[in-house]
Amino acid sequence: MVGQLRVMMLTWEFPPRIIGGISPHVYYLSKNLAKNGVNVYVVTCDFPGAPDHEVVDGVEVFRIDSYKNPSPDFASWVYLMNMNMQKEAASIVKNLGGVDIFHAHDWLVANAGIGLKHVFRRPLLATIHSTEIGRRNGLHSDYERMIHETEAWLTYEAWRVICCSNYMVSHVKWAFSLPEDKLVMVPNGVDVKEYEKSTVDLNQFRRRFALPEEKIVLFVGRLVYEKGIQVLINAVPKILEKVNAKFVVVGNGYMKEPLWEHVKRMGLTHKVLFTGFVDDETLRNLQKCADVSVVPSLFEPFGIVALEAMAAKSPVVVSDTGGLSEIVEHDVTGVKIYPDNPDSLAWGVTRVLLDECYANRLRENAYHMVVEKFNWEKISQQTKGVYERVLSEYSRTFWA
Amino acid sequence: MRVIVFSWEYPPRVVGKLANYVRELSLRLAKDGGVETFLITYHDYWTGEFEEEGVKVCRVTNPVKTHISVLTWVLTLNQEVERAAANIYYKSGKLIDLIDVQDWHFIPAAVTLKKAFGIPFVYSVESLEDHRSHGANAPFNMAIKSIEWLGTYEASVVLVKSDWMASEVIRAYKVPEAKVKVVNPETKHWFEDILKVYKGVMGEFR
Repeated sequence: MVGQLRVMMLTWEFPPRIIGGISPHVYYLSKNLAKNGVNVYVVTCDFPGAPDHEVVDGVEVFRIDSYKNPSPDFASWVYLMNMNMQKEAASIVKNLGGVDIFHAHDWLVANAGIGLKHVFRRPLLATIHSTEIGRRNGLHSDYERMIHETEAWLTYEAWRVICCSNYMVSHVKWAFSLPEDKLVMVPNGVDVKEYEKSTVDLNQFRRRFALPEEKIVLFVGRLVYEKGIQVLINAVPKILEKVNAKFVVVGNGYMKEPLWEHVKRMGLTHKVLFTGFVDDETLRNLQKCADVSVVPSLFEPFGIVALEAMAAKSPVVVSDTGGLSEIVEHDVTGVKIYPDNPDSLAWGVTRVLLDECYANRLRENAYHMVVEKFNWEKISQQTKGVYERVLSEYSRTFWA
Repeated sequence: MRVIVFSWEYPPRVVGKLANYVRELSLRLAKDGGVETFLITYHDYWTGEFEEEGVKVCRVTNPVKTHISVLTWVLTLNQEVERAAANIYYKSGKLIDLIDVQDWHFIPAAVTLKKAFGIPFVYSVESLEDHRSHGANAPFNMAIKSIEWLGTYEASVVLVKSDWMASEVIRAYKVPEAKVKVVNPETKHWFEDILKVYKGVMGEFR
């Protein structure tokens, strides 16, 4: 290897295109790798108004034609988009005079990553953010099996598979029958500085969502079954028996309508506020105002929203499952509750809301833990370490 | 001269009449053309490298077994075709003169290899989606048509078997006339004519 390490990141989303958690993940990871002296080339889908080629915070970004004809279904679109991504990336690599490593994020870029690996004979790394079998709690159709097998194919072709939590490491190992030494845990991160930027008067801001005498209980997430929002809604009357609060629910999803109907039937429309999607700044300010942030997920690969709440110094109540179990230490950095249990959730929330000393202790401990353990600077160094290890192993193969 | 032919059917896998035509072409290339001929094709389980009648055949299978359509099936198979082609490329001192891709299935692989290594390709048309699906333009058919279009756009030459098909390719994909070459495999000199097309592409690309 001559000079700086050159990494090509393949991702279907990168800001300003934001669909899920992969976009911010790749953004912060790439930016901090660049700060650590890695040349990062991001190849991603195009987005209205965003340039085809630009340098963002030291990261060179290429946006490719993401196949805009109508497609038969989402998975077919993904494969067609990969056809375009792969041919564009091949030109880019050729013009750059080569790269050292390809790093693919989820099955959404599996084909492109695997093709480029063989064509240029460079190692491929895969980060698995989530799995089809986990999202759907099983495989129920050929469509789901096809995606599952594509994920398996990606992990098979990858030199190493990165997961963001120990829970995901064991889940991915089980789902694709991978050998232990192929898996690496590198956590997800959160940038606490983003929470210090806003100059909005929070007391003023808070009034848009709650009365001064109401505590704010915040939920942030897609309104889908596995996020457990229904558990929180069921706990609302139990919590209101003990403390006056406003429940602010941020996000959209197929459960929004039925949940709202349920709230109406309980006669609690004045206590529950559905905001839908909000912009980043509003979200961060809400997290800063929240007297407690609740993450009641039933399935959670990582649980980045808990870290974000901690960075905003909001106390957290999380269900004891998946990645959340690892992030939170009970009574130290947050409160753990039994998953899918409204009584347990109500107990956790009232405990935080009724004891300010306890809440403040959780806030301080959690904030320090986030700064210490989940900062992107450190995570990018760990990732660079994985790259270097893989390249040193690669240098002893006949491809090198 | 070193050529790789891509075809989704080759004996013993015979789907239509393309398989035997591609075999005939490959044998003549190896025997009469003085061409080192590689053939990459698909087989469900009979995979690997074989020397057959002077042709170096490589059969790959699909890494993803469960599929919802021939479109998704083709799109995950292309990476295996790329892997096999890259192996030939690196083993032969990075010297491949040309790829001949038969029909639409492995056009994505041919295009990527062109972008990565600068290997030109000929797109040989046996049939078009517009005819196979009787003009249907559901998203499924349009996706296959977009791959065929990509083939006509990126290929050095679009090789067809009749004047009628030449006019159809020009109509459907607005291919410049000079890019389309007609070689009727029923004629006496068909093989020499194809060899001439290959040599023309090589001369132009250098």
